[in-house]
Amino acid sequence: MAKHLLTTSVGSFPKPGKLITARSQFRRGQISLEQLQQAEEEATRQVIALQEELGIDIFVHGEMERGDMVAYFAENWQGFSESLPVRSYGNRYYRKPIVENVVALGDSVGLTVKSWQKASQMTNKPVKGMLTGPYTICDWSFNAYYPDRRSLVMDLAHLVHEEAVALENAGAQYIQIDEPAISTRPEELDLAIEAMAIVTKGLRAKTISHICYGDFETILPGLFDLPVDQLDLEAANQHFALLDLLGRYRWPKSKELALGVVDVHTHRIESVDEVKAGIRRALEIVPLDNLLIDPDCGLKTRTWEEAEQKLRVMAQAVQEVREEDGLQ
Amino acid sequence: MKTTVMGSYPKIPAGSGPNVRSAIQRFEKGLLTPSQLFDTYSQVIGRVVDLAAEAQLDRTTDGQIRWYDLFDPVVRDLDNVQSAGLIRLFDNNFYVRHPLITGRLQYQGGTLAAWSREAAKRSPVPVKVALPGLFTFLELAEDKSYANQDALLADLIDVMRLTVKHLEDTGIVELQWDEPALARNATLSQNQVEEAYRALLDPGISLEQSIALYWGKSSPWLERLSALPFSRIYFDAISDPSILDVLSQTALPMDVGVGLLDARNVRLEEPREVLHHLEPIIRRQGASKVWIHPNCGLEFLPPDRAEQKVRLLKDIKTLINA
Repeated sequence: MAKHLLTTSVGSFPKPGKLITARSQFRRGQISLEQLQQAEEEATRQVIALQEELGIDIFVHGEMERGDMVAYFAENWQGFSESLPVRSYGNRYYRKPIVENVVALGDSVGLTVKSWQKASQMTNKPVKGMLTGPYTICDWSFNAYYPDRRSLVMDLAHLVHEEAVALENAGAQYIQIDEPAISTRPEELDLAIEAMAIVTKGLRAKTISHICYGDFETILPGLFDLPVDQLDLEAANQHFALLDLLGRYRWPKSKELALGVVDVHTHRIESVDEVKAGIRRALEIVPLDNLLIDPDCGLKTRTWEEAEQKLRVMAQAVQEVREEDGLQ
Repeated sequence: MKTTVMGSYPKIPAGSGPNVRSAIQRFEKGLLTPSQLFDTYSQVIGRVVDLAAEAQLDRTTDGQIRWYDLFDPVVRDLDNVQSAGLIRLFDNNFYVRHPLITGRLQYQGGTLAAWSREAAKRSPVPVKVALPGLFTFLELAEDKSYANQDALLADLIDVMRLTVKHLEDTGIVELQWDEPALARNATLSQNQVEEAYRALLDPGISLEQSIALYWGKSSPWLERLSALPFSRIYFDAISDPSILDVLSQTALPMDVGVGLLDARNVRLEEPREVLHHLEPIIRRQGASKVWIHPNCGLEFLPPDRAEQKVRLLKDIKTLINA
């Protein structure tokens, strides 16, 4: 009997203090690239160990080598430069990429493969290959070169596809292509879908797209046409109001839902009971076989302790639902 | 022709200098006292208003440097409203704490007036304050208390009138209502919007009141809003270039703000190109009634480009006057 309510994480984990120090030392030229990579590997090992301990089913590597989900690709691909920091909320800032020329992979073909391989070697559990979608890379960059958004998104789609193929060739069974910007312009949903079709074309791996802080009301049911096997959506942040919206539609048989059950932007640790209540509401809308459970988004903005506690609550809630409902 | 900015400004400098980001980090580690953090905010506000003076702006904000986000001072000044979870600010990769309404709105005041007084006292340039407009507030707020939206809107108008009244003696000269929600949604009831703003705009108030439509199309609202006693309407000609033709053909009874600098893209505009767009509008509206500005707050830009865009306003003004 297949295991039900598989658990996973969305992408990033908080960077341990030693890695934060190593990153700033590297920026100042005080340590070598090899030393930085050693610190990243050590941090990845911590991420894998925590997921093992909590009994998570599908792992992430924690993105210890990335500062930001868009900037990481822009730093390594051609055609981008980097701005001074721009605020995204509170006291969080990121260096927003500037597209200044034709975007290209350059020497960075298979950019994400190495970190995926290293993490995979640390566990027997499947580890997701993590990419950022072309629509979001375009939307979260300043476009100072392309004549319009469409031409930039399409060029980016081909680059992300190359990266997805490299991950699949390396053995990744799950490839996640994050598109949190997809709901920002409902009139461009078709463009995002067209671009994702390029990214996932011919892939045999299970494909996932994570979307958070979305105005889902404006893009449903069109979002169901996004050519991926699994939609990974945040719900806890809005007290599971997403489920009321999803309940208006028949959940597509061919798609899985990974449901976010803990809010990653609050210090408060959810109770097991409130997470269980969210899972049970989801089960009224999405068939059991199609439902996975995870946090709302990447955990990098939490402290390590908060991230651990939130994942622990999630894992316990899932386990209790499984036991109470006689599921594996 | 006059120049202004719209609302927020980066809280960090392009180079060295007072920096809210690092001050908060140091404060959270216990390395700064509350007074030192407060002083950093004051210094950064000083930098913003000094830049406005250098760029010879005719009106400025304080950059909203003390504000967590657009809703922050409103939430602080109202009872039964809290800052809740993060929510995306329309189509930006920028997130705000959405207001959570837990009971009937009550005005307590204090914070915004104090912040405004500080800015007006510090600034060599006349200061305005930009607040979330009625419909932008309603769109992003979460209501856990009111039985219906009409009752909530009526109370919101009432507490916002009190907010304006308490800003009268602070030294600021203008209250700007930011309404991206209107620009993005032409299907809202035109009657309801007109009636709400007619109720909000108290003729007994000495402050100028204006409305800013950005991140969408403003043409659908032009007729109704231009019939209201606003001192000016700010338009976003980057998101909606068609407004340029409209303003070249239709004279409005109030001042007109033309947002021709893109505050969401680092590309720097050519002053001559801006002038090309402005000339027919100036001819139609009259030079003394036209204001030029970025299409929205400048905090969506890195600090170097934000500063360059402010200085660009001076170049454009010089070119026009020449």
